[in-house]
Amino acid sequence: MVSAKKHVAIVKKHPKKWHRHQSDTFMCVPSAWRKPKGIDNRVRRRFKGQMVMPSVCRVQVERANEWVQGRRATLCTIWEEAEPNLIGFGSNKKTRHMMPSGHKAFLVNNPRDVELLLMHNRTYAAEIAHAVSSRKRVDIVAKAKALGVKVTNPRARVTTKA
Amino acid sequence: MSQPTNVSDDLLWQVVRSNNAYLIKRKTGGGAYFSRDPFNLLNKHSRTHAGFVNSKAVSVQPSGEKGVSFSTKKEGKSNTPAKSLNTHKFKSGRSNQKVYKAISDNVGQKSYRSDLNLYAIQRASAVLDSQRAKADAPEKKTRGAKARKTQA
Repeated sequence: MVSAKKHVAIVKKHPKKWHRHQSDTFMCVPSAWRKPKGIDNRVRRRFKGQMVMPSVCRVQVERANEWVQGRRATLCTIWEEAEPNLIGFGSNKKTRHMMPSGHKAFLVNNPRDVELLLMHNRTYAAEIAHAVSSRKRVDIVAKAKALGVKVTNPRARVTTKA
Repeated sequence: MSQPTNVSDDLLWQVVRSNNAYLIKRKTGGGAYFSRDPFNLLNKHSRTHAGFVNSKAVSVQPSGEKGVSFSTKKEGKSNTPAKSLNTHKFKSGRSNQKVYKAISDNVGQKSYRSDLNLYAIQRASAVLDSQRAKADAPEKKTRGAKARKTQA
């Protein structure tokens, strides 16, 4: 198995999972992110000490908080509309979709799919699709080993003995 | 008599670029595009590497248990598929360096597709390497409480 190509360090600006405002308070509010829309919502207005919204990076939020404190809420909405030069929480394009190993995942259903990665074994790793049987998984793993392709889930289903 | 087609390589590429039988699209890893085309040296979906579109293209494939089969397309012979390829099989006994040299002579030196020369050699190397028997990974040692348990 070949290690991944050399790359710049992977930086996650927000390693924690995003969750919807007040999803921890009410059972009926699921955790999937939704932007707060209420007129008085303190998260939407980016008040100090509130949770951060995924659309804005922390640096901007702090700056915005300073900015908002001097003026009133009407100006705050104007700022939100303008959104000057937001950096955001997005990853570096060079490391986007990269796993900690430095590979990108490529979904594979059969040994023929692994052959596609013959010339890309330093950028892509094979990921066996969930519905593939254990018998065929053995073939895929063997093929990947021959071609020097990393498999992200080589032991799934194959080892069932506890 | 069959006549040469009026369809240029560029037009063909415009037609098949968005979708074709060889193209594999995946949404994982930010959306990967690969090609199953045997005349695509890198399995990459692009105009340069799409062998079925280009009138000149190179193929390097494993042949049998050991060895490499090398083919190039003949220009203007797309109407006669049986005669449209130049194929040579490098058998297992030959040294790898000689295989690369032969491929390089045919692809690069004669200016057949000098842009693909490096990729052809890289692929031949990868194919030959894949035919080599690989050593098994060493067995994992048990550590900590589990190891003590097995010892006792």
